[in-house]
Amino acid sequence: MTNRERALNLLHYKPVDRLPAVHFGYWEELLYEWAKQGKIPKSLAENWRQSNEADAELDKLIGWDFNWACAIEPKHKLLPQFEKKVLEVLPNGERRIINNEGIIERVKPGKTSIPSEDDYTLKDRAAFEELYLPKMQFTPDRVSAEFFEKYNDMEKYDRPRGISIGSVLGDIRSMTSVLGMSYLMYDEDEDLLADIIDAYADMQYKCIEAVLNTGVKFDFAHYWEDICFKNGPLVAPDKFEELCAKHYKKRNDLCHKHGIDIISLDCDGVVEQLLPVWFENGVNTMFPIEVGVWGDQFEPARKRFGKGMLGVGGMDKRVLREDKAAVDAEIERMKRLASLGGFIPCPDHLLMPGTKFELVQYYADEIKKIKP
Amino acid sequence: MSIINEISENLQKGKAKLVKEQVQTAIDEGVASKDILSALLDGMNVIGEKFKNNEVYVPEVLVAARAMNMGMQVLKPLLASDGVQAKGKVCIGTVQGDLHDIGKNLVKMMLEGKGLEVIDLGTDVSPEAFVNAAIENDCQIICCSALLTTTMGVMGDVVKAAEDAGIRDKVKIMIGGAPVSEEFCRMIGADCYTSDAASAADAAVELCK
Repeated sequence: MTNRERALNLLHYKPVDRLPAVHFGYWEELLYEWAKQGKIPKSLAENWRQSNEADAELDKLIGWDFNWACAIEPKHKLLPQFEKKVLEVLPNGERRIINNEGIIERVKPGKTSIPSEDDYTLKDRAAFEELYLPKMQFTPDRVSAEFFEKYNDMEKYDRPRGISIGSVLGDIRSMTSVLGMSYLMYDEDEDLLADIIDAYADMQYKCIEAVLNTGVKFDFAHYWEDICFKNGPLVAPDKFEELCAKHYKKRNDLCHKHGIDIISLDCDGVVEQLLPVWFENGVNTMFPIEVGVWGDQFEPARKRFGKGMLGVGGMDKRVLREDKAAVDAEIERMKRLASLGGFIPCPDHLLMPGTKFELVQYYADEIKKIKP
Repeated sequence: MSIINEISENLQKGKAKLVKEQVQTAIDEGVASKDILSALLDGMNVIGEKFKNNEVYVPEVLVAARAMNMGMQVLKPLLASDGVQAKGKVCIGTVQGDLHDIGKNLVKMMLEGKGLEVIDLGTDVSPEAFVNAAIENDCQIICCSALLTTTMGVMGDVVKAAEDAGIRDKVKIMIGGAPVSEEFCRMIGADCYTSDAASAADAAVELCK
């Protein structure tokens, strides 16, 4: 069985020979740590990106089958993006920068984690209409020859074929910051927030439509949202439904029309309260199910929504910093979850500094021994 | 509806400009500064309780806190001259190596909403900086925030730095953030862990008594 067949069979409740060893990538600091320890060549740390050639090389070294974060992406973000540049070097070495979405943030050289947001550009209708709306227009060059080269490249890798279908609110939050989104939503201009969401969603829909109308085929579609945290959603579920549900439905209906029946959504944090909006509008695969740090869970979602709710993730990555006994216990838990069907175990986020290379190899080897 | 009730209601709705105007109106009408402060704190209390119960979410807390801050800008000079005291003094920061501040800011807002004076040390704060700030400002509580599993260990260093500086018996250490737990709190010898910002504020008020 190929990895692709194995993954798709699992998500369609069909028999498989074994579980696949699936992962979600690494924090860059970990790869440099491993390079320093002599576990991997430094070039892999330098060149690694989600699902690129270096990632595939690492898969071989470690024993992974594939990375779930492998969906290819048309140019469905701001185009052109804001030019990322350093505005100020602070006395403590931090950089104050404007990022590609127009957020002013503080970053620390050598750290790849989420930066601290200082300010933002998208504050009012004038900023939207002058600076952002022109970057949210659909133009045919968003679906470029480069995209189809990536599509053809998928032949080289044995993994499911995914298309990134964007983000309904997560990308908007990346433009407004949590603070700005909140102010627009409740105090300043909710109509403006709705207009921003609608304009961006319309552009993303047209990108996906343009891709799928060429006849190219995908196994799954994939959203990125990241709109939850430790205590649940970063936005009230009723507001989320009011502003976003119609866009999920429209986009997912389009995917269904083109034969894509696995629609996964990457959202960190505790997602439980937003699941109804996603599930009822066509999203059916939770990812990465952050059980470790945030305490998210797959089983309650399965009980609540039935077999239509699929999952990729849910493996507590923190055990990979401990020892074999901790990994074995987690594998046992994964075995139980996999027996539910429609579930692929995968570390519940990027592997972090301190993760032991040999334990990751051990996990990958052991998970492949399981026949669900 | 009285102006006091209106201030509280509008704060809960996050209407910052309106709250600022109404605080000024209340002052002009001769309402006592401590009563205006109570209206602001009551509004934040309602939001805090609703936040704990998942009746409101982060955006509602952020806009309510902004409304409170705008009201306080007008009220603060009067509070000082009327001798109204804060319920306690807290220094707060995200620990060294960690730049995340949304959680820390939420807790700060909730603490202020309980009438505590908060010294915000920002992000990437060293253990020594926490301790020095606590000594210089005579704080009863140090609040440490972390989002990363790789930085949460610094919280233990803060506890140790407080011991080394000889202030451990004078200052309580509260911790919070995504990877932090009650068990971790006990392990490093901190005094209090809470799972959300509103509960942190409740606990801080108790610790300041």
